[in-house]
Amino acid sequence: MSTGIESGYAIEKFDGYVVVKLNKKIETLSVKDLDAQISAASSQKFVIVDCDSVGIIPREWLRTLLRVHLNAKKESKFLKLISVSSSLLSYLKKEGLDTTFRFAKDLKEAMNETGLLPKRTLDTDFINPFLAATINTLKVQAQIKTEAGQVYVKKPQEFIQGDISGVIGIVSDSFNGSVVITFPEKVFLKIISNMLGEEYTKIDNDIVDGAGELTNMIFGQAKVTLNEKGYGIKTAIPSVVTGKDHTLSGLTKGPIVIVPFTTEFGPFFVEICLSN
Amino acid sequence: MFDPKTKVLVVDDMLTMRKIVTKILRELGFTDITEAQDGNEAWARVQLGHIGLIISDWNMPNCTGLELLKKVRADQNLSKTPFLLVTAEAEQGQVSEAIKSGVDQYVVKPFSKEGLKAKLELTHKKILARKSA
Repeated sequence: MSTGIESGYAIEKFDGYVVVKLNKKIETLSVKDLDAQISAASSQKFVIVDCDSVGIIPREWLRTLLRVHLNAKKESKFLKLISVSSSLLSYLKKEGLDTTFRFAKDLKEAMNETGLLPKRTLDTDFINPFLAATINTLKVQAQIKTEAGQVYVKKPQEFIQGDISGVIGIVSDSFNGSVVITFPEKVFLKIISNMLGEEYTKIDNDIVDGAGELTNMIFGQAKVTLNEKGYGIKTAIPSVVTGKDHTLSGLTKGPIVIVPFTTEFGPFFVEICLSN
Repeated sequence: MFDPKTKVLVVDDMLTMRKIVTKILRELGFTDITEAQDGNEAWARVQLGHIGLIISDWNMPNCTGLELLKKVRADQNLSKTPFLLVTAEAEQGQVSEAIKSGVDQYVVKPFSKEGLKAKLELTHKKILARKSA
């Protein structure tokens, strides 16, 4: 396999498409095996060429990409260049190739235009990893047994009240969303007291970021499971909202499901929102 | 296992997580523990010397745990410092990158005292093997 920085390109295979990432080395390297490597990886697939790191594409490389493009067309697929700088676009115009290749701003746009973006829904496939991660996090980190109640869709005028919430955005190439975990003070204090091995009686600066850390752990575990299924969720940093009986709304536009959890110290709630 | 007198640097932007790691380390017998809020602060501490073990979060603002690891490994005097990365997102690509950058072990959140202890023991064994090689 000659992919990698030393060969001037790297190929990543996905469901329905491959991404060929070019790097600056192509400006000095002669093209080697590129079409064979792409053909091996891309049978019946769209080819997306990421030009983000290159200023020009040498003619030899262009000829190869053109060959790949024409072969893809025979299978009713095509090659699409993404992240093309204005100088590279001018260069391609000069070479007479600006109308031959197809272009897209970025991977998300390319996938959208090729119909590759899967529609994601708030189904059990998406929700269950958050349920499992919540139960596991409280069990391992706080030695607290928790059970998930009946999952339901949040009503338009329904607000979940709590005293401290951890919030994290879900960002991927095909959808956005958010996860909010809201605790009554009593439950949060018990969880944190167990985690830190000392008794806390009020929410103060010493423990407030614990809600963010819990959210981070739950999100992190769910993210691994979901990304193994191709969701492509990116890393995010949580934030914390505090305030007696606060409610949160309008973080993300889209349907929201609420998962009520119970512990021996009281309930808490996980809200999951997703919009395509 | 590491000598309990080993000076340990715990790096995390979240106070709660620093407290959790410090609490477990104390339960395991460590007595000399210092903390830093991000990779930049940790790097300043490490350069002062005497740090015998670094346990760092991965995902932090300013300077991430991975960036700190790379700095430590690139420094001739510090490159052999035992280094554990703590992460909530142990995806294959991340783990490979950490190994390539010279991490000794990675700890996946959530973790128990036993989990961290096991990772410390593995790290210690690795250090001993490195010394005798």
